Amino acid sequence: MPSPRLCNATILSHTAAGRQYYRLVLKIPGTVSLPLPGQFVMLRVTDTIDPLLARPFGISSVLTRTSIEIFYRVVGRGTMLLSRTRPGRTLDMLGPLGRGFPMPEKGIQPILVTGGSGFPPLHLLAKALKKQKYRSVIFIGARDRSELPPAGILRSFKEQASALHITTEDGSAGKKGLITDLFAPYCSLPDRSVKAKIYACGPTPMLKSVSTVAAECSIPCFVSMEERMACGLGACMGCSVRRRAGGYLRVCKEGPVFEAEEIAW
Amino acid sequence: MTGEKKKQPDLSVDCGGIKLKNPVLTASGTFGYGEEYAEFVDLNRLGGVIVKGISLNPLPGNPPPRIWETPSGMLNAIGLENPGVEVFLKERLPFLRTFDTAVIVNIFGYSPDEYVSVAERLDDAEGVSGIEVNISCPNVKAGGMVFGTDLQATSDLLGAVRKVTRLPLIAKLSPNVTDITRFGTAARDAGCDGLSLINTLLGMAIDVRTRKPRLANSTGGLSGPAIRPVAVRMVWQMAQSVSLPIIGMGGIVTAEDALEFILAGATAVAVGTANFVNPRATLEVLDGIEAFMTDQDIGSLRDLQGKVMSR
Ligand SMILES: Cc1cc2nc3c(=O)[nH]c(=O)nc-3n(C[C@H](O)[C@H](O)[C@H](O)COP(=O)(O)OP(=O)(O)OC[C@H]3O[C@@H](n4cnc5c(N)ncnc54)[C@H](O)[C@@H]3O)c2cc1C
Ligand SMILES: Cc1cc2nc3c(=O)[nH]c(=O)nc-3n(C[C@H](O)[C@H](O)[C@H](O)COP(=O)(O)O)c2cc1C
Repeated sequence: MPSPRLCNATILSHTAAGRQYYRLVLKIPGTVSLPLPGQFVMLRVTDTIDPLLARPFGISSVLTRTSIEIFYRVVGRGTMLLSRTRPGRTLDMLGPLGRGFPMPEKGIQPILVTGGSGFPPLHLLAKALKKQKYRSVIFIGARDRSELPPAGILRSFKEQASALHITTEDGSAGKKGLITDLFAPYCSLPDRSVKAKIYACGPTPMLKSVSTVAAECSIPCFVSMEERMACGLGACMGCSVRRRAGGYLRVCKEGPVFEAEEIAW
Repeated sequence: MTGEKKKQPDLSVDCGGIKLKNPVLTASGTFGYGEEYAEFVDLNRLGGVIVKGISLNPLPGNPPPRIWETPSGMLNAIGLENPGVEVFLKERLPFLRTFDTAVIVNIFGYSPDEYVSVAERLDDAEGVSGIEVNISCPNVKAGGMVFGTDLQATSDLLGAVRKVTRLPLIAKLSPNVTDITRFGTAARDAGCDGLSLINTLLGMAIDVRTRKPRLANSTGGLSGPAIRPVAVRMVWQMAQSVSLPIIGMGGIVTAEDALEFILAGATAVAVGTANFVNPRATLEVLDGIEAFMTDQDIGSLRDLQGKVMSR
């Protein structure tokens, strides 16, 4: 019984992308569903039992019907082992999983905000929005130049956007400061005549301030959350985040994309 | 080669009155309510599904972080989040009942009364093959002492549950005790029909930079391949001293792992954490057991069960 969410993915290409990221291109069988913007996959980085659990990654591009692109940063043992895998090797892949970004209604202006390594799912979203003729305004923040999306992706973001704003905390690229320094005034423009929707992915503190701005300006806001995961299927209840209305929401199942006001920040 | 086809081995087992078509079950809390895995696993092929722990009332669970990966294992402090017995019966059980597989309902509570109420409710329900009682729970009324680490509390609790149900009753034992066989004996004397072991081992991990525990709950249950030798040893010890059928679990990933438990004396096995790593793990274990038996010309599981030899 071939499942549309389980396969052996073959590494087609695996290269360093800029100073901080790796670009991983996977070939997937035609039986596997294609990811929607904001969905993710779980990859096993070894065939052995250590590390045991698969690692979740967003999708930055669907390159063809049978190939997808991932960008990741080495932050620990799992991603270190992943970075040593070579083209031709296969990796167990589960996905696409979770609920992605809802497309905006006609006439709405999308505002995309990303920080650090949160750019991959927003890149897939930006492409989908452009294809449907939306005029997206895109905000990209990073600590420094090397943490910005790699050059090819940055160029692509520029092509998808009607306006692109960049900040770095050290001023090594774009404007010096935090991304919310540009994003907040943009959202609160008094002459904002068109209705907007905000889409954000990045570190949790950034998502929290983005959601605060969104609430103040009464703009609907969708955030992609991260939490440690085991199964990716909603079974283990391990990746829960606090829900504003009480209880918890599973990042892998109800998320990873949530309406910002659902979350108890 | 004779060209003669080898006989299909007989995989069926009787687990304390629960008839299983094969010995492969899913460990509670690692397979949801079956639905989560139905797209990867034909549930009809499983010996049975042991569902995620059910309490009388819905429980929200613990704050995050709830899990932390450790060498060949993981710590969890989910906090037994579940929708409660009524929602289980109305919304989860009907799905499971459409499959030809045993449904074993794992139950827990924070007082003996809660356990009893859930068991009573299940006794009335259609389509429940048996009850597995998770005794690794703190008794809030007795100062938070864990039922399953105190012999008297274990006896009293299981005796009380026994009184209210005719369903096959399986005690899920905690490994966090000095001599697990004494708890198996207590469960038998309280009228249980079978034993499940092991539940998770209590563990802890600390972030040395922040100096904080990795889990919001500070401690959590260790599961996965890391605990398998401990689990095999406990099943073996239990099989020597208590005559009840045993569901063996703890770190099973492959058929060979499962066979270790069966040789140690388990009647059936449950696959837990491995489901997270490979959603089809249960079927791979099942196919592997069958292939092993065919290969070794073993006609029935009974010829393997408890057949570890002395050295
Ligand atoms: C839905 C989702 C999508 C993701 N998409 C991407 C992506 O496109 N690109 C990318 O580089 N990373 C992504 N991540 C994060 C990625 O999964 C982790 O970086 C990875 O699992 C770390 O594994 P490791 O073994 O290298 O690190 P570990 O040794 O496990 O951890 C190292 C450090 O990373 C942190 N960390 C690990 N896992 C997570 C997590 N799930 N959330 C937050 N912090 C974590 C830990 O707190 C620790 O400080 C995503 C996570 C989720 C939940
Ligand atoms: C995330 C998680 C949730 C669990 N929930 C329950 C539960 O609700 N009730 C229970 O009796 N055991 C629960 N367990 C324990 C397992 O059923 C099993 O006994 C244990 O994990 C050892 O098997 P394993 O190493 O194959 O996972 C849980 C284990 C995990 C990892």
